[in-house]
Amino acid sequence: MSAPLLEMRNIETYYGPIMAIRGVSLDVNEGEIVAVLGANGAGKTTLLKTASGALNSNKGQVLLDGEEIQCRDPDWVARKGIAHVPEGREVFPVLTVAENLAMGAFNRNDKDAVANDLETVYGYFPILRELSEQMAAYLSGGQQQMLAIGRGFMARPRLLLLDEPSLGLSPVLVQEIFGIIVRLNREQGLTILLVEQNANVALQVSSRGYVMEAGGMVMDGPSDKLLESEDIKEFYLGKKEEGIRGRRRWKKRKTWR
Amino acid sequence: MTTNSVMQDGCDTLPKLFLKKTAERGNRVAMREKDFGIWQSYTWNDYRARACEIAYGLLSLGLQRGDVVSIQSEDCREWLWADIGTLLAGGVANGIYPTYQSRQIEHMLLDSSCRFLFVEDDEQLDKFLEIEDALPNIEKVFVFDWQGLRELEHDKVAPIGDLYELGIQFAKGNNGLIEKIAAQGSGDDLAALVYTSGTTGMPKGAMLSHRYIIFQTLLAPEFVRLNEDDEILTYLPLCHIAERIFSGWLPIAHGATINFAESPETIAQNLRELSPTYVFAVPRVWEKFYSRITTAMSEATWIGQQSYKIALSIGMRRADKLIAGQRLSRLDRLCYSIADRLVFRNIKKVLGIERAHSAASGAAPISPSLLRWFLAIGLAIDELWGQTELGIVTTCRKGVFRFGTVGPALPGTEVRIAESGEIISRSDGQFDGYLNLPEKTAETIVDGWVHTGDVGELDEEGNLSITDRLKDIIITAGGKNVTPSVMENELKFSPFISDAVVIGDRRKFLTCLIMIDQENVEHYAQTHSVPFTDFRSLCARPEIVDMIGGEVARVNSDFSSVEQVKKFRLIDVLLTAEDDELTPTMKLKRSYVSEKYNNLIESMYARQAG
Repeated sequence: MSAPLLEMRNIETYYGPIMAIRGVSLDVNEGEIVAVLGANGAGKTTLLKTASGALNSNKGQVLLDGEEIQCRDPDWVARKGIAHVPEGREVFPVLTVAENLAMGAFNRNDKDAVANDLETVYGYFPILRELSEQMAAYLSGGQQQMLAIGRGFMARPRLLLLDEPSLGLSPVLVQEIFGIIVRLNREQGLTILLVEQNANVALQVSSRGYVMEAGGMVMDGPSDKLLESEDIKEFYLGKKEEGIRGRRRWKKRKTWR
Repeated sequence: MTTNSVMQDGCDTLPKLFLKKTAERGNRVAMREKDFGIWQSYTWNDYRARACEIAYGLLSLGLQRGDVVSIQSEDCREWLWADIGTLLAGGVANGIYPTYQSRQIEHMLLDSSCRFLFVEDDEQLDKFLEIEDALPNIEKVFVFDWQGLRELEHDKVAPIGDLYELGIQFAKGNNGLIEKIAAQGSGDDLAALVYTSGTTGMPKGAMLSHRYIIFQTLLAPEFVRLNEDDEILTYLPLCHIAERIFSGWLPIAHGATINFAESPETIAQNLRELSPTYVFAVPRVWEKFYSRITTAMSEATWIGQQSYKIALSIGMRRADKLIAGQRLSRLDRLCYSIADRLVFRNIKKVLGIERAHSAASGAAPISPSLLRWFLAIGLAIDELWGQTELGIVTTCRKGVFRFGTVGPALPGTEVRIAESGEIISRSDGQFDGYLNLPEKTAETIVDGWVHTGDVGELDEEGNLSITDRLKDIIITAGGKNVTPSVMENELKFSPFISDAVVIGDRRKFLTCLIMIDQENVEHYAQTHSVPFTDFRSLCARPEIVDMIGGEVARVNSDFSSVEQVKKFRLIDVLLTAEDDELTPTMKLKRSYVSEKYNNLIESMYARQAG
């Protein structure tokens, strides 16, 4: 197997005195969708921010195609080919949809290709074409999420970091957006590192998954294996045996096997 | 069996002693436990009141002398209240590990014909409900913590509060009944069942009489230096004989205050918070302490490292003199007091042992190097040796350091080495046999001597040293006898190795299965930039395997060629107390492990190609 596209090794990242990630290693191969699961505060977002350079790690390396990219400015990392779709969308509210998408291609000079990619984005998200002259602030949550993904795609990245695309969306919209994420991966060959709390949908679209807890990795494996794991079922998918009384309050101890 | 009367303060049973002592101590603090994060105290009066309510409650439900009551819970105040309440009512108390699964619980409840059951909470209750159809003998189940059960309707199950209420009502018309029952009791009455974690087959119920308990209480304060001013931390399961002696029986006799650890995970924090004056710990805990300090030192500043090094060499010199029984010169004392003030005191503070005047280790063998290190930093740990069937049998004497031995027999206890090399012992306090297992009992108690299953030697001073479990001794294919525990203990001394099992019976050479210490090895991986994700991937990293290999090689160098471990494998599953591989005190079970990891073992003996 060739070397992974993205390799994170022994990453430690602090928020001031607090160690948010304590030694995390992770690989993403070209063409894959890799999911990172975890509860609130597990360090998932910090992990993505460390990868994209929005945060500096205190220890460890981030390798893109074997080249160290940790602790560099985010714009430098973006030019290297990592696009970050942050949690909560973060579209530019006073710019129009079209301008937001153009911002995604800020670093690119190949006008024809950019125009081509814009068409591609509109192809995946027809609603964005309809609203292209609207100010992004007036978009619904789902539309903003689409815009954020489209903006990320406009950079034509080698790797797209997706932070909780399902956040605050209705189940139907979650299905729709994840459908498009899978298509972007298959049809455009886009490699995606996906952070999600919605374990069910994340494990269905990804080929491999990692589970984070309290700043460390506790489990990793092929997504179909993770879906079958007892701990994942109980703690992430909310499926549990009802117990002898039909209502069980206590939780099993996590073993992550 | 002997009929000598064994008395503590004129009492031959625990209820007599309990009633007498609690009356004397009144509102002194007996126990502390955290409630929503805040320590709450319970006095001897509270202890007595609750135990009596439980006793009257059980009596009102028809408990007869000799009936068995089981307690299935983590350590908590109610555990001891229910334990003593049962004894006050004339019953027999049986502790069940909360980590046990329904199958083992069913066996214990049936085997003991248990009538009443105490469970900790809804989780433990569910284990009973799964098997209740097989247990018609259980008449009533009381739950300590009723949370999450409000809507439960089950005529056998009730919150413990109902039992207190029953007891209060019943006591009104039966004043003095408990005192009467206590007065009728005798030292030969059965007091407790302690099921020994059978490494093969189902657990066996050792029958312990009041004589056994009273005999144990006689060891303090002279040999187990515990008295009424002491504070101790209760963290081992009370089902285990060691914690029952230290937190249950000795405090009743001698008045120490017990403090319940919040959970098995918070032992280190609770120790620091409390700084107990007497510390009993199993070797695993002492090993953890040591590895915490060595890891911290490897990261300390240059000055920190140097001062630790110098202080330790002073401490070690003093320790060696103490071990050799030499007098300390004035200079030695001066150097040590400086080292103590600048370095050791801080170490002891970090560990929460700076107030400890005495400490003991038991329940498993401990490495002499570890004892020497603790002596160097100024904590003399007495190694105790005992077992469920006998209680505490030997302990080291104050000021005498014979590391590698467990000291001489306690007064009233005889210890001998049988022809087979097995250690045999007898005392007035020994157990009465295994419940419902006359054959096993006859195998264990022969002509009044308890056969311990351990092999050992007595030196000319009468100090006993334990070689190994009789059945664990390895005879290699070359016919050489090897005692695996010596090697295993030295391996466990490494901060990276949590437990090890040496294998090699009827094999050409010795091999070893190793359970790594997750925290320290992860730390190592992190500092040496070894990427890993989960525990399994950590164990698979060649860097980690090499590092452990280095530890094995270092230990090997102290052993002769036939005693050396030639190959090893890491157990790549993170085991918990619920797993069958571990005993409730987190030791690897040799027989179970060698069966379960048979493939791994065979892979070490597979003939290599070429």
